[in-house]
Amino acid sequence: MALIRKKKKPEPEIPSSSMADISFLLLIFFLVSTVIDVDTGIGLTLPEYVPPDQIQTAPISKDRMAALLINEQGDVLLDGNVIAIPQISKNLKARIESKIELDKNKKLIVSIKTDRKTSYNLYIQALDQVRMAFNEVREEYSKKKFGKRFIDLDQDQAQEVKEKIPVIISIAEPELIKK
Amino acid sequence: MKFEKKRAGVKQQIPTASLPDIIFMLLLFFMVTTTMREVDVFVKFKLPEAKAIEKIENKRLVNYIWIGEDGRIQVNDAIVKVSDIQDIMYKKRQALPNLIVSLRIDKGQSMGIVTDIQQELRKAYCLRINYSAMMKE
Repeated sequence: MALIRKKKKPEPEIPSSSMADISFLLLIFFLVSTVIDVDTGIGLTLPEYVPPDQIQTAPISKDRMAALLINEQGDVLLDGNVIAIPQISKNLKARIESKIELDKNKKLIVSIKTDRKTSYNLYIQALDQVRMAFNEVREEYSKKKFGKRFIDLDQDQAQEVKEKIPVIISIAEPELIKK
Repeated sequence: MKFEKKRAGVKQQIPTASLPDIIFMLLLFFMVTTTMREVDVFVKFKLPEAKAIEKIENKRLVNYIWIGEDGRIQVNDAIVKVSDIQDIMYKKRQALPNLIVSLRIDKGQSMGIVTDIQQELRKAYCLRINYSAMMKE
């Protein structure tokens, strides 16, 4: 009698050699269809819109105000004096520092005014200098008071620094800009 | 004298069983760290450079307005006029109250068009803006 032996069944298995190819395809799809670049920029909050006939002007003491004017030739005026753009932050820093301990409504306001034909690049450079001045004063204040850098402060401490040194940048109403 | 390469007697092969897993890990990493490309930009622009810049933390709140070097304005997927911006942004703001408008403006532009757009944004009550800029080395 012939020996009837059960044929050994091969173990069932899913072919997985193409798995790598499939996941490579997926990977490439995601690489192509997504963006990684982070958005960086200078943040600003615009004032609310007020119709031109309802604008109320409140008098502000000259001491509180730093007026920055940029004309179309690229000349920069800070409170009536011609200044080079890289000098702005140094100049403002001293003025911000002198107002740290003053009341909330006596902090420095930086007003930036441009012509319609002023180059945008120049405006950003000036705005950058102003932001830098505020940032540096904040940095120094938190180092002196808490012995830490501004970004390492906890929420309450950061809030305190922000209250002491608020960033107030005002953009002039365009109606006041000559066309 | 015979030159013969010494070879190991056993079969050589790189184990590839874990290759799919590695690729899947990469895939997951990219899925988590990136966001979908939403629009094609039609205008050509070069951003200005600045030092005191900050990152926008929440990318989903951001809405872009592009102004190219030729002065064309793009919002979403279309080229628009300055007067259209108020309507478009107002609708967007209703859907997303705390949106941030990122202005990606070519550095060769003049302030006239920038102030016009800022006025439109103020009318639409989109007050949080961000002047997009590159990090200066």
